[in-house]
Amino acid sequence: MACPPEHKILEYLDGETQGIEQSLIRDHLLTCPGCRRGADSYARLNQMLLQPADIEPPAWLVPQIMKKIYPELPKYTSIAAMIAASFIFFVTWIYIYFDFSSSSLIQALQLTADRTSGWLVNAIKAISAVYTSIQAAFKASRALLDMLLGLSPVAPWIITFALAFSGMLLFLTTRRLLKKSHGNKQ
Amino acid sequence: MILDEDQVLIKKTLKGDKKAFEELMRKYEKKIFSFVIRMVRNEEVAIDLTQDFFIKVFTVLDKYNFEYKFSTWAYRICYNLVIDHIRKNQGQVQSLDDDSVSARDMLDSENVIRQDGFSSLSQKETRAYLWQMVENIPPKFRELILLRYIQELKYEEIAEITDLPVGTVKNRIFKAKEILKKEMEKDGLPA
Repeated sequence: MACPPEHKILEYLDGETQGIEQSLIRDHLLTCPGCRRGADSYARLNQMLLQPADIEPPAWLVPQIMKKIYPELPKYTSIAAMIAASFIFFVTWIYIYFDFSSSSLIQALQLTADRTSGWLVNAIKAISAVYTSIQAAFKASRALLDMLLGLSPVAPWIITFALAFSGMLLFLTTRRLLKKSHGNKQ
Repeated sequence: MILDEDQVLIKKTLKGDKKAFEELMRKYEKKIFSFVIRMVRNEEVAIDLTQDFFIKVFTVLDKYNFEYKFSTWAYRICYNLVIDHIRKNQGQVQSLDDDSVSARDMLDSENVIRQDGFSSLSQKETRAYLWQMVENIPPKFRELILLRYIQELKYEEIAEITDLPVGTVKNRIFKAKEILKKEMEKDGLPA
């Protein structure tokens, strides 16, 4: 075999040749002192390049990046989230359970609207619509609750599970929102 | 699909496991930092870019395709960040496409530490000198030497990361080594 071009020897040394080409170059280097000298020289260079002098990143780099990626919440945030979630949660469930559909709030608002005009009437109408929708949702929840209670002996367990699950969901959502807003501030 | 070690860590990270991402960073921080600092030749900038790199990886981790090697995907992000930085700061850092400045000129520049009595240099010192030379060759050669020998990537992976044809990658690595070898021989170093 004629002497292979130098770049082919380099590819061979870098492990980038395969099959017959690899065997041919290997065999040639065994028999050609000139090419072997050149190959030895590049092999030494490769060896040195494969052992670069270490450049250590600062030890604080990874912890700093971790803080940026996962901003820690102030200690009180979790407690605040839990209290807020519990409050919303209990108020909601108490509302469903005691069924405040006879609330006079909406009637009072409607009476107020009768005596006023312009934007205030529209505002009260809008509040009234939202309120009615929420009330309907509560009524539906209450009906579901009654149905479940009368349906099966495991109903109290289902309700307990639903309570715990919705409470946990509420807590996690609140915490996540707080964490997100905290992260954005940073 | 069988997942490798990196991909397992990615899966865990995507499920919210902080430790998994920290482990992934620990695994790559040295190689990434070494690559970046040798490209930009400024420690502060290298720290910022390494930081930006990991944050970017974390942000787009959900877009990672598990059919490919994580390292290739990550090095491509790193490479693009560094190249963007170099392009934006061409006044401060050597242009990537600057053919007018030969490696010879670069090596003769005042940036290169030149010492006498190389014959007495230890292997460690010779290696340090060689890497000093690597840092001073034109970026278009340097980036490939760094990807090949610091990141230990195959020519094809380098081509994928740099968007260069494999032939060009081979040629540039060959030329870079030729320059380095000649310089070492010229200075009486055992190359």
